Amino acid sequence: MLQCIFLLSDSGEVMLEKQLTGHRVDRSICSWYWDYAISQGDQLAPVIASPTHYLFQVVREGVTFLACTQVEMPPLMGIEFLCRVADVLTDYLGGLNEDLIKDNFVIVYEILDEMIDNGFPLITEPNILREMIAPPNIVSKVLSVVTGNSSNVSETLPGAAASCVPWRTSDRKYTKNEVYVDLVEEMDAVTNREGILIKCQIYGEVQVNSHLSGLPDLTLTFVNPNILDDVRFHPCVRFRPWESHQILSFIPPDGQFKLMSYRVKKLKSTPIYVKPQLTSDSGICRLSVLVGVRNDPGKTIDSVTVQFQLPPCVVSADLTSNCGTFNILTNKSCTWSIGRIPKDKAPSLSGTLVLENGLEHLHVFPTFQVGFRIMGIALSGLQIDKLDLKNLPNRPYKGFRALTRAGQFEVRS
Amino acid sequence: MAPPARSSQSSSPSQPSGKGEVSDLKSQLRQLAGSRAPGVDDSKRDLFKKVISYMTIGIDVSSLFGEMVMCSATSDVVLKKMCYLYVGNYAKVNPDLALLTINFLQRDCKDEDPMIRGLALRSLSSLRVPNLVEYLVGPLGSGLKDSNSYVRMVAVIGVLKLYHISSATCMDADFPSILKNLMINDRDTQVVANCLSTLQEIWTAEGSNSEEASRERDALLCKPLIYYLLNRIKEFSEWAQCLILELVAKYVPSGNNEIFDIMNLLEDRLQHANGALVLATIKVFLQLTLLMTDVHQQVYERIKAPLLTLVSSGSPEQSYAVLGHLHLLVMRAPMLFSSDYKHFYCQYNEAFYVKKLKLEMLTAIASESYTYEIVTELCEYAANVDVPIARESIRAVGKIALQQYDVNAIVDRLLQFLEMEKDYVTAETLVLVKDLLRKYPQWSHDCIAVVGNISSKNIQEPKAKAALIWMLGEYSQDMQDAPYILESLAENWDDEHSPEVRLHLLTALMKCFFKRPPESQKALGIALAAGVADFHQDVHDRALFYYRLLRYDISIAERVVNPPKQAVSVFADPQSSEIKDRIFDEFNSLSVLYQKPSYMFTDKEHRGPFEFSDELGNLSIEPDVSAQHVEADDEDLLLSTSEKGDVGFPLNGSSYSAPSYDSSKPLTASNTSSDLAILETGVHHQASASLAIDDLLGLGLSTTPAPAPPTLSLNPKAILDPGTFQQKWRQLPVSLSLELNVSPRGVAALTAPQALIMHMQGNSIHCIATGGQSPNFKFFFFAQKSEELSNFLVECIISTSSSKAQMKIKADDQNSSQAFSALFETALSNFGML
Repeated sequence: MLQCIFLLSDSGEVMLEKQLTGHRVDRSICSWYWDYAISQGDQLAPVIASPTHYLFQVVREGVTFLACTQVEMPPLMGIEFLCRVADVLTDYLGGLNEDLIKDNFVIVYEILDEMIDNGFPLITEPNILREMIAPPNIVSKVLSVVTGNSSNVSETLPGAAASCVPWRTSDRKYTKNEVYVDLVEEMDAVTNREGILIKCQIYGEVQVNSHLSGLPDLTLTFVNPNILDDVRFHPCVRFRPWESHQILSFIPPDGQFKLMSYRVKKLKSTPIYVKPQLTSDSGICRLSVLVGVRNDPGKTIDSVTVQFQLPPCVVSADLTSNCGTFNILTNKSCTWSIGRIPKDKAPSLSGTLVLENGLEHLHVFPTFQVGFRIMGIALSGLQIDKLDLKNLPNRPYKGFRALTRAGQFEVRS
Repeated sequence: MAPPARSSQSSSPSQPSGKGEVSDLKSQLRQLAGSRAPGVDDSKRDLFKKVISYMTIGIDVSSLFGEMVMCSATSDVVLKKMCYLYVGNYAKVNPDLALLTINFLQRDCKDEDPMIRGLALRSLSSLRVPNLVEYLVGPLGSGLKDSNSYVRMVAVIGVLKLYHISSATCMDADFPSILKNLMINDRDTQVVANCLSTLQEIWTAEGSNSEEASRERDALLCKPLIYYLLNRIKEFSEWAQCLILELVAKYVPSGNNEIFDIMNLLEDRLQHANGALVLATIKVFLQLTLLMTDVHQQVYERIKAPLLTLVSSGSPEQSYAVLGHLHLLVMRAPMLFSSDYKHFYCQYNEAFYVKKLKLEMLTAIASESYTYEIVTELCEYAANVDVPIARESIRAVGKIALQQYDVNAIVDRLLQFLEMEKDYVTAETLVLVKDLLRKYPQWSHDCIAVVGNISSKNIQEPKAKAALIWMLGEYSQDMQDAPYILESLAENWDDEHSPEVRLHLLTALMKCFFKRPPESQKALGIALAAGVADFHQDVHDRALFYYRLLRYDISIAERVVNPPKQAVSVFADPQSSEIKDRIFDEFNSLSVLYQKPSYMFTDKEHRGPFEFSDELGNLSIEPDVSAQHVEADDEDLLLSTSEKGDVGFPLNGSSYSAPSYDSSKPLTASNTSSDLAILETGVHHQASASLAIDDLLGLGLSTTPAPAPPTLSLNPKAILDPGTFQQKWRQLPVSLSLELNVSPRGVAALTAPQALIMHMQGNSIHCIATGGQSPNFKFFFFAQKSEELSNFLVECIISTSSSKAQMKIKADDQNSSQAFSALFETALSNFGML
């Protein structure tokens, strides 16, 4: 049971305070938190204990969402709720920063009022909230000028709150019906010091953007659903069809949402390789990094980047690349942006590092973090078979896309 | 994730100071109050916005209460909402004015728009002014019967709010039984869920006083209700589902079939997108199958994948919370997770606290299987840029080595660390090699060969230096240079700042002396002389003790200082298995993240200043009243401990305070130091006399050390329950009382007494109760010495009108009360009070 929620700006100022129960939480907790946060630096855990309260904190775009409680409660409930608040506000305000919150604090209060009562989360479904409190967008502003009705509270209570499909209202109408399905995958991989791929897995999401009239019933099937190791669904997905035939059957919410997330583990290879080499002798270290395509996925690999942090014992570095741009910041973090890997030559970065006085060899080695993006393919191999729509007045437009990018892709040296 | 670099909080210059603006607003609001001109709502709205933005940044706008209420007669919903917000914030401090709002709120409760009915009812029940409850009962009653579910939903929570303001009114109006009815019959699931949470809270609170209420509370766990809720579970909102699952986790099914039915029903909840819901489901599964070993194991297999997906899919904050729970499960059953060990490999970008959890899990798994792979992985971290993690991973390798029977490969790895020539790597490794030798003395030859090459000059960290010195003493017969290295250390006695190292040096030289007397006699002499002159009490005492022991009989001295040792078979686990089980029972709670059962952290703080601060206004300054209050709290506490049932932990948490020396210290050292403590009582005054006879070792002592005044250090995690406090307060005499002048700054700071309490807690002085009303504040503090269970109790009365603070200090140990009072005064003046 949460007792209070604070929104803090990136300078620690209290932008908003929402007391939830009879036990008022004093504002001084925020300055305690702020001092503590500064003293901890990056090591600040999301759940901390202050002398008087237990605090949950979630930081998004410089805005700190801080919730306080004094009683035992499921920690994920607190954290998950704060994440939802952040998501809903981002959705409502078209972004999230100090100014947006300060300009719209009345709306933020209204939203919080509906999202949580007496410390217990109530409605966090954006579609329902949207019907209770109109977002402050340009359309409604224009509308209010035209109609003279400037209230952003809708006159009626949402129909969906009481319906059995709480994520959707039944009276949506579009002249042009469209639905887009995107497979977005992130590859996490670790290559160890010996150059062996020790971990490679994909975390993927099926994102749907639907603009469909009425109460459509959709069925999505995959060619190879058996490769999925674990799946999680949006509440709209019916469990039984998946259980028996691995079919996703659902009535979609309106707009953009995450239909399903999945994991595919134990992949055998990565689309590109990064081979760092460091040899040091009498205070000088030679560094070379080679990048190339290992398994051609058949689509262009672009936005290739390699980032690494030079150890503090490196005094100076002289590195050049034959392709792309290379930058070193003063804190010795290096970024090599290659972009698209050229067909005719293998990109390489090489040069020397000078070690600090008295140090013969380099003992501490950088980890190379790799980024890439491949449009048009899901590297896990997951393929959509077909999408069927029922309950629609006219034929809708269906669009499919796929994208794979690097998640936590690291190569140790 | 961690917040970006932050500047410390400062009051921003753009903030208006308040006064002028507020009176400005006041007059503007007054002008608008009666106006019915077109467009007046818009101007009102701007003004209201201003008022609320002032309120938000912390300016006191309560003086506008009357004007705000006058302006609230409007049909504009946004205006109404802002007004409700304002009223809710200030009604408690302005009970008389709050009466003014009742009228319009009651009228709004009958509005034709259900949204307004609901909002008004919510605001009305949020006023929390005790003498206005009579106006609340009627609207709540009709709200519960409202045709719109939104209003009913608000009304149900309103009942809970009413209960917290005045439980008697709530019970007299018979609301609980109406809710019970509603819970079973209402169509709207949110109303049902709110009824459930309200009833749970009311019956739990009432249960301590009345048989009937506790029966009602238990009735919530009856089979028909549980089944009713479970069968409809998918209709509830995800949060309400969490609530229901929490209830189900407490339900005891009558047989195995029932257990399987429930699990089958909930199976798909494991794939829900809401992490809180997934964890709540897992808790139900784990609790239901506790007594069915095979099924319990299958449950682990089943929940593994969802948990691992949650870790990799959520935001960093969510991952952390899930990882905390995964950590608990892995520690309980490492075998079951062994095939997934790669999930716990650390990624470069992860935060320290995440990596640390992962390292611990890897360590647990490695002790069972995949040892080679995991140790290889951990060794890579040791060469990482991230120094704290490098240290942690070396420790992890050491831990695995200590749990493994086949340690060959690991010892080689550890010794390779020493060749990396990184100071922190060497330091960590030395400590581990020492522990390893205590468990596997047979490895001494390999280790000593490598350790012997390390120059003690390169090691700065006290723990590592102590470990090296211990090895030098323990294996001095095998290490050629041992006496000479020790001698050079003894010669530089004054450069050695850590008492721990000096203590070890004394013991190591003693051991060395028994094995190779001619080579180490001189060094021992130097060390004993320096030790006796040492200003640190322990070092001084130990040196003197050794000296006398040697004078008495060298062979007895050898038996005391260097007895034959047995290899340590198992190092003590810092956490008992009882505590671990207890945390497991509290799955899906904060205890898991703090890795402590909740009674260890919730009770004290929750029952400390919190309960009192809310009643700050009711407490008078007479001591007997506050004593009664302490007593009441004491009863409360007793009840809660008896509820906790069968666990035999002392509530006063001796397990909570850290041991004064850690387990990695060699056994001999701690043995002798405790022997020492027994033998050596108040002898140091005679030091000069006994030192006169220093012929044996040729000590060249000329001056007697003046005994240093004992410094007082306090235990930052002191625990004292209110009952004991009260008892001690009665028994002990006042050992010190003083009166201090309070600075104007201090007076100002007392507008928020919480800040003072937090500050004092930062100085290891804990507040157990506060009371009083401006201008007289009263605080009861307590503190404990860090080494022993010796309490200091303080009563501190601060009068802001006369700027005086009166203090009475009582102490278990009267001698140190002066030192404590100095500490207390320093703490107060650091806060700006004096």
